[in-house]
Amino acid sequence: MTAQPLFILLCSGEHEKIQMAAMMASVGAVSDRAVHVFVSMNALFAFDREASPEQRYRGGEFSRLLVEKGAPDAMQLFEQGKMLGDLRMYVCSMALDITGWSEDRLVHGLFDEALGLTKFLSEAEGGQFVTL
Amino acid sequence: MPQRTKIDARGAFCPGPLMELIAGLKLIEVGDEIEVWSSDKGSAKDIPEWVAKVGHEMVGVEHCEGYDSIVIRKAK
Repeated sequence: MTAQPLFILLCSGEHEKIQMAAMMASVGAVSDRAVHVFVSMNALFAFDREASPEQRYRGGEFSRLLVEKGAPDAMQLFEQGKMLGDLRMYVCSMALDITGWSEDRLVHGLFDEALGLTKFLSEAEGGQFVTL
Repeated sequence: MPQRTKIDARGAFCPGPLMELIAGLKLIEVGDEIEVWSSDKGSAKDIPEWVAKVGHEMVGVEHCEGYDSIVIRKAK
């Protein structure tokens, strides 16, 4: 039986939620499951290719521990998911319009295309949907 | 006689050991094995679950001092 595709709507700019999205996306994608991630709202800023590691993540106590203990970086986990599994990533076209960013502003090699929410929701019908 | 490759992922946090295993599997031949050393407490259950799901073979899990040794055979 083929697993249901997993659709992750990532809106939060909190490090902890971005980390969990990256863990779910990478592990799901390497487990014979298609995973689709849609990045919007404050989450967009974490994918700024010009941001330093210190600027990229904003979070609480657990964020501090993730950095201190050397947990895998979320951007690297997304990258591994794409390299080793079936992971597709989309950036919200509205978020690009609001910020005035182009796709070139985002971490290179992660995003497949800019997409509208309507299209993403349409693709997500029949899959498992998670919002972070 | 299968070749066995060792991956020392001690000190790596979830899902690091699993991702290292998957990357390693791409480099070996069908029938060969990988032994992962992981200090991540979830690996001893997570890795066998992944192996069963994607169709490789578990050879065994050994609990050692401060880490688990998990051996997988590439089946496809």
